[in-house]
Amino acid sequence: MIVPLIKGLQITFSHLFKKAVTLQYPEEKPVVAPRFRGLHTLKVSHNSAKCVACYLCPTVCPAKCITVEAGEDANHEKFAAVYEIDMLRCIFCGFCVEACPVDALGMTQEFELANYKRTDFVFSKERLLEKR
Amino acid sequence: MVNLTIDDKQVTVAKDATIFDAAKAAGIRIPILCHDKKLHPFGGCRMCLVEVEQMKGRLIPACTTPVTEGMIVRTTTDEIMTARKLVLELLLLKHPLDCPVCDAAGDCDLQNLTYEYKVNANKFTDEKFRWDIDYENPLIERDQNRCIHCGKCSRICDEIVAFGAYSFVNRGIEAKISTPFDEKLDCEYCGSCISVCPVGALIAKPFKFKARWWALNKVKSVCSYCGTGCQLTLGVKDNKVLTTVYDEDQGFHNGQLCSRGRFGYQFINSDKRLTTPLIKKNGTLVPASWEEAIDLVVSRLSEAKKSDPSSVAALVTPRLTNEELYLFRKLFKDVIGTDSIDHSAGYAHKALTEGLKESFGITASPSLIEDIQKTDLLLVLKSDAYETHPVIGFEINLAVKRQGVDLRILSDKSGKLTRLPDAKKYIHKPGSEILLVNAIAKSILDQNLADPAAQSLPGFDALKSALAAVSIEQISAAAGVPVEAITRLATDYAKAGKALILLPIGLGYPGHGSELTSALANLAILTGKLNKEGCGILILGEKNNSQGAADLAIHPTAGGRDAGAILEGCTSGAVKVLYIAGENPVVSYPDKAKSVKALESGAFVVVQDLFLTETAQMADVVLPVKSFAEKCGTFTSVGRNVQQIRKAISAVGQSRSDREITAELISKLSGAACGGSSAEIFTEIAASTPGYSSLSTDSLGDNGVIYPVVITPKLVPVVGVVPETEEGKFALLIGSSLYHCGTMSRYGEGPMLVCGESYLELGRTDAGKLGVSEGDTIKLKSAAGELNLKVKVGTRMPEGVVFVPYHFETSAINSVTAGNPVTWVTLSR
Ligand code: SF4
Ligand code: SF4
Ligand code: SF4
Ligand code: SF4
Ligand code: SF4
Ligand code: FES
Repeated sequence: MIVPLIKGLQITFSHLFKKAVTLQYPEEKPVVAPRFRGLHTLKVSHNSAKCVACYLCPTVCPAKCITVEAGEDANHEKFAAVYEIDMLRCIFCGFCVEACPVDALGMTQEFELANYKRTDFVFSKERLLEKR
Repeated sequence: MVNLTIDDKQVTVAKDATIFDAAKAAGIRIPILCHDKKLHPFGGCRMCLVEVEQMKGRLIPACTTPVTEGMIVRTTTDEIMTARKLVLELLLLKHPLDCPVCDAAGDCDLQNLTYEYKVNANKFTDEKFRWDIDYENPLIERDQNRCIHCGKCSRICDEIVAFGAYSFVNRGIEAKISTPFDEKLDCEYCGSCISVCPVGALIAKPFKFKARWWALNKVKSVCSYCGTGCQLTLGVKDNKVLTTVYDEDQGFHNGQLCSRGRFGYQFINSDKRLTTPLIKKNGTLVPASWEEAIDLVVSRLSEAKKSDPSSVAALVTPRLTNEELYLFRKLFKDVIGTDSIDHSAGYAHKALTEGLKESFGITASPSLIEDIQKTDLLLVLKSDAYETHPVIGFEINLAVKRQGVDLRILSDKSGKLTRLPDAKKYIHKPGSEILLVNAIAKSILDQNLADPAAQSLPGFDALKSALAAVSIEQISAAAGVPVEAITRLATDYAKAGKALILLPIGLGYPGHGSELTSALANLAILTGKLNKEGCGILILGEKNNSQGAADLAIHPTAGGRDAGAILEGCTSGAVKVLYIAGENPVVSYPDKAKSVKALESGAFVVVQDLFLTETAQMADVVLPVKSFAEKCGTFTSVGRNVQQIRKAISAVGQSRSDREITAELISKLSGAACGGSSAEIFTEIAASTPGYSSLSTDSLGDNGVIYPVVITPKLVPVVGVVPETEEGKFALLIGSSLYHCGTMSRYGEGPMLVCGESYLELGRTDAGKLGVSEGDTIKLKSAAGELNLKVKVGTRMPEGVVFVPYHFETSAINSVTAGNPVTWVTLSR
């Protein structure tokens, strides 16, 4: 009966001499894997968003949290006049990125998305545009 | 019948069927790109290749090959699959593959087949097309880079629409679909070509980029413009009607629509829709609550009811559902006790409610739309039948072009119909229709061509003696149609195995009333062209439910005031409360001054409408109502077809349906609860309306039900009057523009993009004489007033005759007309 107790304590003591697992967040930041699925980004090419407003990402999104509204520009081309993701509803599945036929959408390593108001979680096109 | 085997299945089909038809009948799907059941076989794309045992050695297109006895067909061998894949690879070779920005994606035959046949690589390489895209015309964006050369657009525009806007030009790799001289498209904008285009080469501009096909909720309904009663599918997203969706299996018209049906839906979600009740306070209309508005209306109605029920009058539009019209009749005739209820200016329904009633004992046409293609000779009164009822126009096109129907047009102007192959036109002086029809009747009697059975019918002797006084020569001189033409038409009509008469009616056609109808009915009765397939007379009611309004007797039946008298009654003070539901007398009734005076007279005016129309602006209370897309109910269209509309979106603003409002008024005024769903009201209608007794909303289904009628023919002599003419003046005719129907289409974006303002149409010779050309402004003056209008020069109008559409409020033509079939005007620059 005493033997298992001692074994348990041995494990506990052995940990005193190992490297700590706890991360002193927010002073310390974790190393995020390159394929981590964090905040979305709308990729930019030739100074404008690559998104052509095809509506495939809102179609595939299981959380139905993407709103796209297409517009027609001066050259009669299609562009996303509205592009919004409601991060409160997003489940970070990445389907939207996978669905995009023009590789206009990506997911970053950004995960610090806490905010004060619900409306702050709705990311507009401006907030999602790739920063360069 | 022919027997054949397809994929080991025994099939028996008619001998004119193709392999494709036979396979379809057997439930076997053969992929197609260029084939369409409405069009002649084309055989251009080779997607439908199959193998036939008896024709081994090559693959056979299923869509063009007729079946033969004992044929053994295979539809899915490896060789066939490879061939079809090759077809797709070749089509994709020059195709831009811009599905992400193409509106057809999701509903694109090329995309679907590419997916189905797993074409994910191409063994060929080539440059893409680089054609210029046509962005110029108002409604159709044409991107020939996406075209797969199926030819369907040019075929439908030629075979069914009979416009012929497109054809293939150039050869080989240079080939493309083009308009004449490659100019911008300028056509009827019916959108038929968009609907059949299997890819995104033709797209509807008003819907461009608005939503994806798969995101649309598709709700089947019935068009709320003209009386044809085309079925349509509304494309709904986020509680908004965004487009109409093509469904080739809908209705007698196979999903084909006209310009206003296809492109005129924007009135439903227009920003101009009324969203709250309005009450006039200190001379201005201010928003109010429903309670306040209804209480006010109820108190005014009950006051008037107590003092004198006949001081209440109503004008109710035939755009409402049968259920709503029924409740309106109940409210006014039974609850309040006034017979002064009418619609369509009091004259536009008389062909049905008086003409047919007298001649046949019923208020509906004895014939059906399907008779048009089954007849031998089709006599159309006014070429305008095409403008008023374009999809019935398609039926006429098909009757002439496919069935070889002998088309005769008795009209005061030329038009689309008179240009059909072998169509014979009889262009007469304006206003002489009845004279001419009487002359035809007379000629039939003179030539002893009358049906012996007709002689025993009531009215035969009276007609005979009335016609004895008629002189064909005099009529010929008065109407400007040669005697030989009249007698020839009489002979041909009488001798034709089957003959059908079409008469469009409406606010724009004051001459098409009960007398003309009876005169025409006389022809059919005299020659025994009744009660048979392809025979009889078909009255084309103007609005979506004109027939229903006639069936439900939304007109005075016991000595009440008709529409004209109601307006006069307001002015004289006899009518104290005027209830207007959906009608817009200020714009659409003749004699604008009369309507305005009536509305300004001090009578309490309630207007129930979708928009703050010119009439609503003058009301004391305005109630916002739901459009056809926000409610359920039934419409009865031309040819007695009772069809259902379905709710597609929830109410716009605080609007309520006319049914809800009327039911509430009935409850409050009578003290007895009135409610019930539209299905329950329909049951009441069925129980009380002749012809409807066998109907219930369940039995209507998707296609509606044509209710039966029994006619008791009677010959009714009518006197034609030689129309007055005024030397040196022009005969002004009003009527319908192809792109509009009534005044509601002005709130639809599509119709306004094509035809956004009133115009005056005249012939080249007159234009030359007056020294005006297209686009100039011309001054028109009549006894009643004067107007400035844009000139449109065309080939339709005979010399001395001009035409103005009646739909518009700016330069409203009713400020110079007084409800006569012809108005004499002077024109000056
Ligand atoms: S990650 Fe998933 S849930 Fe989030 S927006 Fe994309 S598809 Fe929607
Ligand atoms: S899938 Fe890509 S291109 Fe399409 S709407 Fe989404 S981000 Fe834009
Ligand atoms: S819209 Fe109608 S008339 Fe115009 S090109 Fe197309 S099919 Fe022909
Ligand atoms: S435009 Fe469309 S319908 Fe016309 S030929 Fe091309 S693919 Fe066919
Ligand atoms: S307006 Fe008349 S012809 Fe045109 S689609 Fe509607 S019902 Fe059909
Ligand atoms: S569908 Fe048969 S050849 Fe095009």
